[in-house]
Amino acid sequence: MERSILDSIGTEIVGVMSPVSICMLLVVVLVSGLSPPSSSIDSSSSSPATAATLVYLESPSDPPAEKLVGALLNAAVFVALVTAVTFLLVLLYYYNFTGFLKAYMRFSAFFVLASMGGSILISFLRRFSLPLDAPSALLLIFNFSVIGFLSVFSNAVPILVRQSYMVALAIIVAAWFTKLPEWTTWILLVALAIYDLAAVLCPRGPLRILLNLASSRDEELPALIYESRPTISNHSEPSVELQPQAPTRSNPNPNPNPNPNPNSDPRQTLSSRQSFSSSTEADESIIEIQNHAETYPLVSSERGRDQPESSWSDLSSSLGFSEQDNELESTRGIRLGLGDFIFYSVLVGRAAMYDLMTVYACFIAILSGLGFTLILLSIYRHALPALPISITLGVVFYFLTRLVLEPFVVGASMSLVMF
Amino acid sequence: MTVAAGVGYALIGLGPALSIFVSVISKKPFLVLTVLSSTMFWLVSLILLSAAWRALLPIKSTAFWPYAVLILTSVVFQEGIRFVFWKLYKKLEEILDLFADRTSKRRLFLTDKLQIALAGGLGHGVAHAVFFCLSLLTPAFGRATYFVERCSHMPFSLISAINSLGFFMIHTSSMVIAFNGYAQKKKSDQIFVPVIHVIASIMTLINLAPGGCVIGIPLLCLSAAGTLLYCWMLCLHKTSLLTPLYSGLPVTVSFEISSRARLKLP
Repeated sequence: MERSILDSIGTEIVGVMSPVSICMLLVVVLVSGLSPPSSSIDSSSSSPATAATLVYLESPSDPPAEKLVGALLNAAVFVALVTAVTFLLVLLYYYNFTGFLKAYMRFSAFFVLASMGGSILISFLRRFSLPLDAPSALLLIFNFSVIGFLSVFSNAVPILVRQSYMVALAIIVAAWFTKLPEWTTWILLVALAIYDLAAVLCPRGPLRILLNLASSRDEELPALIYESRPTISNHSEPSVELQPQAPTRSNPNPNPNPNPNPNSDPRQTLSSRQSFSSSTEADESIIEIQNHAETYPLVSSERGRDQPESSWSDLSSSLGFSEQDNELESTRGIRLGLGDFIFYSVLVGRAAMYDLMTVYACFIAILSGLGFTLILLSIYRHALPALPISITLGVVFYFLTRLVLEPFVVGASMSLVMF
Repeated sequence: MTVAAGVGYALIGLGPALSIFVSVISKKPFLVLTVLSSTMFWLVSLILLSAAWRALLPIKSTAFWPYAVLILTSVVFQEGIRFVFWKLYKKLEEILDLFADRTSKRRLFLTDKLQIALAGGLGHGVAHAVFFCLSLLTPAFGRATYFVERCSHMPFSLISAINSLGFFMIHTSSMVIAFNGYAQKKKSDQIFVPVIHVIASIMTLINLAPGGCVIGIPLLCLSAAGTLLYCWMLCLHKTSLLTPLYSGLPVTVSFEISSRARLKLP
């Protein structure tokens, strides 16, 4: 049956937008569901000493100037940490420690799911005063985390499970990040957007190096990335993907002989940093997971980069659909770094602490920014940072809504006047 | 039970939007994107409006003329935005048709165009309902409710839910009517849309009088129903040109059927 053109256009974009919306929605539900009972004073005092608040811990009574300077310092330190860890990652990847990276990534996924997910579960239970004994809670968390641990890099796990675990990870980390103090959160978001822009688009940006490295080796990035592969698709697609990799795998790696020195070196920096930072183990893992997640911006399909793959995808798309799908769709699907999920949700979660109106405005702004980025992606066809446009729009809309829109709308509808 | 009340108010305001979204929009990704962009458009227009009025708010006087001026400027501005949206859509339609030609798919159909117009209207309507009803519902989930002094007959949340339901109907159907009017250069449709918008907004001014909501809200609902009826007739007329047999069915169903029936015709 002939189908309208409306049916096929935009599938990919919606395929990325819907998990992002689900993630944001759940974070908002979590934030607004969990925060009220523990009173605001309590939550601000228990605001954790994460890596994002190394320098300055905001208290509500501080004057704005001090808050601003402190938040700027916090953001600077945090971005510096992120940059350092990203370069470390690039170094490890450059010297082919892919196995180590994957193992580390699995470990951190497990750790985040178990510890932070566990703490969220506990506060959830406490909030709704649900009776659950400790052994079964532990068993629950352990099972949940183990499946997450297994699903991070293995292809055997159904894609839907992997996708939901990615979203779950993003939700958990984002819910944790919303505990940061207000000013720090805003400055941090803006700083990360700028960092993302620089790291992906600068010629020597770490993420760009990493992406080029991965595409020249033609292998998966060892990172936490959400892949919007069509979930109901025919099973031939992964095999199509594997096919062109076989010939390219045969050519040797650029650095076949990594000497053991770099191995010990990064480890040393890692451990030294661990001892240096006064934060707890859990907080440490936040940065780590965040870094690895953040690292991978919006990655388009590999199609544009290497020739065999592109011919294959053309073939497959001409088999499956008509050729027009090349314009907006790709066989691999769009990939979005988990960090983007996290920081979108952090923004929305922070907005949820003010009012619902700001939540809606930020939600719409972020999704529009994401859509705009995806359109740019289909034009430029190389990896783009997904944070800058969305975060900018989100922050601008938050403050516009808070300062301008809300008095207007509330004033109008309190007097029952609408238009 | 307070959660039930809050959910109920939300469903009064946004229930029809939800059902349209699930039954028609969510099946076609492009329509979802249309809804999103239309929502963004409306939000931007509202922010611009409120930025312009920010200095003059809140209106202290009890006279209704400042509100009348506010409403008139807002409606004029929003109708202007609608025209801009139409212009953009026109460009998009050309691109889509070009795209369809290149990939030897069929061009945009009448029902496709109606669906895009519906999606655009839904975006406007949803944005209105979200900002004027849903975002003010937070107190309704709590243990108390809120009454406005001017209209003590029913809770404020219920009033705003009914109001935004009415405006949702008006926005959604008037987008369909307006797109049709612009496409066919029908002056009557082009004028009908702003006029009904102004009338509906003026109806809400009646609420300013003490106890006026008893009259104002039914009138608003009436004008919403009128707009919906007009849109319905328009769609029936247009689709019945294609398939006279199915003209009695509900609009969305006859969309589906006519698009299927059309396929068998050639």
